[in-house]
Amino acid sequence: MGSTRAMGEAAAAVLILSAGLTATAVRPAVAQAPARCAAANTVRETLPNGTTWQLCWRIHARSGLVLEDVRISSRRYPESVRVLRSVTLAQLNVPYDSGETEYNDITDYGFGGEYLQTLAGDDCRGGSARVGSDGDAVPRRRKVLCVSAEASGPAYRLRNDGAPTKPYARQGHDLVLRTVSKVSTYEYIAEYRLHDDGEISARLGATGDLSPVDVGSADNGWPVGKGARGFATSHYHSAFWRVDFDLAGRGGEQVEQYDTRVAGRGSTAARLRTSRRVIAREGSFSKANRRWWRVVSRTARNADGHARSYELVTAASDVYEAHPETTPDVTFTQHHGCEKYATDNTDPQCAAGRSILDYARNAEIMTNPVMWVRVGFHHVPRDEDQSPMPLHWQGFDLVPRDFTEVNRLAPEARAGFNGRN
Amino acid sequence: MAKRSATVRRLSWVLGIPAATALAAFGVAAWQANAATPSPGPSPRVAAEPAGVSDPGPSPEPLVGTGNDPLTTHELARARAAALTPRLKAEARDVTGAAGPEYLWAEVVTDGAGRHAEVYYYDYRADKLVKQVVDLATGKVTGSYAAAGMQPPPARREVGAALGLLLAGPFAADLRDGYARATGRAFAGRDDIVVTAHVYDPRPADTGARRCGAHRCLQLVVQAVGGPFIDLSHLIVDLSGRRVARLK
Repeated sequence: MGSTRAMGEAAAAVLILSAGLTATAVRPAVAQAPARCAAANTVRETLPNGTTWQLCWRIHARSGLVLEDVRISSRRYPESVRVLRSVTLAQLNVPYDSGETEYNDITDYGFGGEYLQTLAGDDCRGGSARVGSDGDAVPRRRKVLCVSAEASGPAYRLRNDGAPTKPYARQGHDLVLRTVSKVSTYEYIAEYRLHDDGEISARLGATGDLSPVDVGSADNGWPVGKGARGFATSHYHSAFWRVDFDLAGRGGEQVEQYDTRVAGRGSTAARLRTSRRVIAREGSFSKANRRWWRVVSRTARNADGHARSYELVTAASDVYEAHPETTPDVTFTQHHGCEKYATDNTDPQCAAGRSILDYARNAEIMTNPVMWVRVGFHHVPRDEDQSPMPLHWQGFDLVPRDFTEVNRLAPEARAGFNGRN
Repeated sequence: MAKRSATVRRLSWVLGIPAATALAAFGVAAWQANAATPSPGPSPRVAAEPAGVSDPGPSPEPLVGTGNDPLTTHELARARAAALTPRLKAEARDVTGAAGPEYLWAEVVTDGAGRHAEVYYYDYRADKLVKQVVDLATGKVTGSYAAAGMQPPPARREVGAALGLLLAGPFAADLRDGYARATGRAFAGRDDIVVTAHVYDPRPADTGARRCGAHRCLQLVVQAVGGPFIDLSHLIVDLSGRRVARLK
């Protein structure tokens, strides 16, 4: 512990020293490696604000949609810079409150192959349905990925003192990628939203129908039939994502945890102190008030000399404390190719590592961290869940922190606003 | 009271998103709005600035993939041919007991240089999951791994074999009677039902299926064609032991 704190302080000192080196900090990133896929498996789209996202996609038999080599550029930052090496679902644990039924929808079934739905009807209205291999044991090429651009509401707004009726304001857009997988009666939408400001949102949506098999009672379900009949059993959806960053194509990131505590009183309000803990070794971590994590490049800096990073922003998440694997909110592990799923890993090449807790057990020093994010939803059924069930969503956001020295979408008139000038 | 708290709970699920994810929240609204009314966008500004995407048509499958592309038809055939070494073919057994392992699936390897495939099999003789790594450039097996107690989802052939064991075994009446109760018709045969299956892991209280996990066992999900599900969750087909067990 003492050593990690010392490391953190040393890194902070470097950060402060380098803040003045703006002139030398702007430099092209390391030449980007060639694209990791053919044009047919590439999505490259420019959103109305000028941001271009480029990525490779494929369908894995179990994990379903996999995004790889995710890169971003924009008008202000025309160089295409890599953000993610890969992101994919890594498990979906569904235990029923009755204690009689439990599924691991990724490793017991899978989101690819026969479970992956061919897009039809309104599945991709307004978007582009892309054809690719479905990942089956004997793959078929089908329309399985929906690519669309969707309005995301106001991107920013600032009163223009020179022209009060014309504020600096833009509407934002997301590049949205979706696949649909049907596992028994449930249908799941794997969704990634690539925002024009550099944020990335990963979500899982559940629809379809409630399980017809699991019959609950008053204390573990909800009556969805007439009167006190037709109890549908409450259950959990604990979803895991595997996120492998490759910030600016450099790899080798560092993980940091930030906490803010009340440290006393100032003259008018409480004094809060924010501190950093470098997470050098593998481990699992849980949320606390004001706690957050980021994955930071050790080498790539923005034009202000600040280390480029992405922050994990978690939303609502129910903890399923009945399993040790579904209790922590995030686990960081050293990258190993055969560690594919958060639980129930089925790769004989790493037979001893069956779950994130196994992967992290030896507290290996991380030179290439992988982030496993868990988001849980305890679903107490309701009458309206039939039929079809309205989509319920769970997920998280990856928000750029110092990836660029100012707002990626800033208008020209604000180009000079950087720092306390 | 309980109902109200559930409603509040759901609302908080939808709205309880940190301020930093306001854009994501807008995204939710936009997606839901789009689902209800496909167009136009929520404001005239958006309508004046349509956010289209390109719509490339499907392109023909190349002979070989690039980078981490999915295995092509050609590559999959090459990988499967190379992975099934003479030794594996001679020593392993498939779900029917015949020589050679049961093919499960194959995928591209995303680490390292050059394109490699991982081909997965189940060996019913050793009761092990087998992974063969094939260098697609040379057609050589570069890694071979096997482990017991790993049970990925079944191949369709395994589901078919499990249904065959069920229909030929002592609990076939459970399916026939369940079908009749659910549909009002007599069960005429396999064509009346759609069957999927998932791997079954034993629970502490189980009797009759204790070897599952080490053995490859399936629980069948049976649906009448175009009709209701028939609950057979109390039956476990042990493919390794070639028998059907009733739980409890």
